[in-house]
Amino acid sequence: MHDRLDHHGMNGDMNNEASLTAALRALPACEPPHDTWPALAAQLRRRRTLRKTVWFTLPAAFAAGIALAFAWPHLHLRAPLPTPVRIAQPTAAAATRPSAAKPVTDVAALQTSSEQWQAWVQNLDRTGAPLDGRALATAVTLQDRIALVDLQLSAARNPATVASLWQQRITLLQQLGLLHLQPYLVAEQAQPVRAHALPM
Amino acid sequence: MDAQSNFQQHVEPETVARLKRGDLAAFETVYRQFERAAWTLALRLTGRADVAHEVLQDSMLKAFERAGQYRGDAPFAAWLRKLVVNEALMQLRHDRLHVIEVLDDSVEQGEAPPPWTFADAATLDRALNRLPDDARAVLWLYHVEGFTHLEIAREFGRSVSFSKSQLARATKRLRELLQPKVEDTPCTIGSTTTA
Repeated sequence: MHDRLDHHGMNGDMNNEASLTAALRALPACEPPHDTWPALAAQLRRRRTLRKTVWFTLPAAFAAGIALAFAWPHLHLRAPLPTPVRIAQPTAAAATRPSAAKPVTDVAALQTSSEQWQAWVQNLDRTGAPLDGRALATAVTLQDRIALVDLQLSAARNPATVASLWQQRITLLQQLGLLHLQPYLVAEQAQPVRAHALPM
Repeated sequence: MDAQSNFQQHVEPETVARLKRGDLAAFETVYRQFERAAWTLALRLTGRADVAHEVLQDSMLKAFERAGQYRGDAPFAAWLRKLVVNEALMQLRHDRLHVIEVLDDSVEQGEAPPPWTFADAATLDRALNRLPDDARAVLWLYHVEGFTHLEIAREFGRSVSFSKSQLARATKRLRELLQPKVEDTPCTIGSTTTA
């Protein structure tokens, strides 16, 4: 504090300054408003959700946009129906997808199931046909909802709630997967012979 | 707890480590520990509860989001205090709360003890709130937070002489505000009605 008091430089002023310091420091601390923490915590959660959503959806939307940009000229020249080879890709993926027949209540089993569904969706995303604009918007909405479920899962403590949230996550992943299969469903309606190639 | 001890608190290294990892519970611990300190400082620097509330929220949000940038070369409380000061001064600049007040720099001091030595807390508090924003902020940073003029100048983005002159003006103004006023007694001479 070498520059303290040098604006005065007198002993009397030093005493005055010391007494002012003492008087100000003796003032009681102020009582903050009580509602600050809940508002702050809520704001932090909102920011986290937004960030997570952006991290989750932006790369997917970006990749889909690039894929659409590449596919656009071909679609305009002569919109070709998916070839059997292209149909076989989701079919193979669908063959390995988890069974949705049995209701599962065990959280660990639901987690495993969710991981399998997620892997299935990611596989479809990598290998499937690009989504059109409307499907892409739906996919982004579904991914948002999955991100929200993930957020709720990070805070949930009740086992029943946790199980319910994992089940919701699986349902959303299934819807997301079906969205990726829509082009093939359309193709299959045109060629009903290959109905076995569609996922159940 | 008085104003001085507000930011003189130790934070457990484990809590800081958890905060740096984005642990919300650790952040709540830190928030609860420094809530009063940050609020008092924000209120003293800005002079307005609504602005101080904003400063408290924004600086705490920054503390959480920038905790990873804390290197540990100074106490955590000092790092946090700097965030609050920066945010408060930014608000002062942004909202143009400070009122330029032309004051006479000549300091008149007699032998009598300065008025703050016998002023009670409420009176001193009221007088503080009547100071121009910049002057009050400089006064508080210098006397209570122990900043040097160089540090204050850096925080304000101004010169050292700015800090010194603001301090001198604030001190003088405070003295004036705390000086007991001589009551104007009405002159009764000649007011009596003659029968």
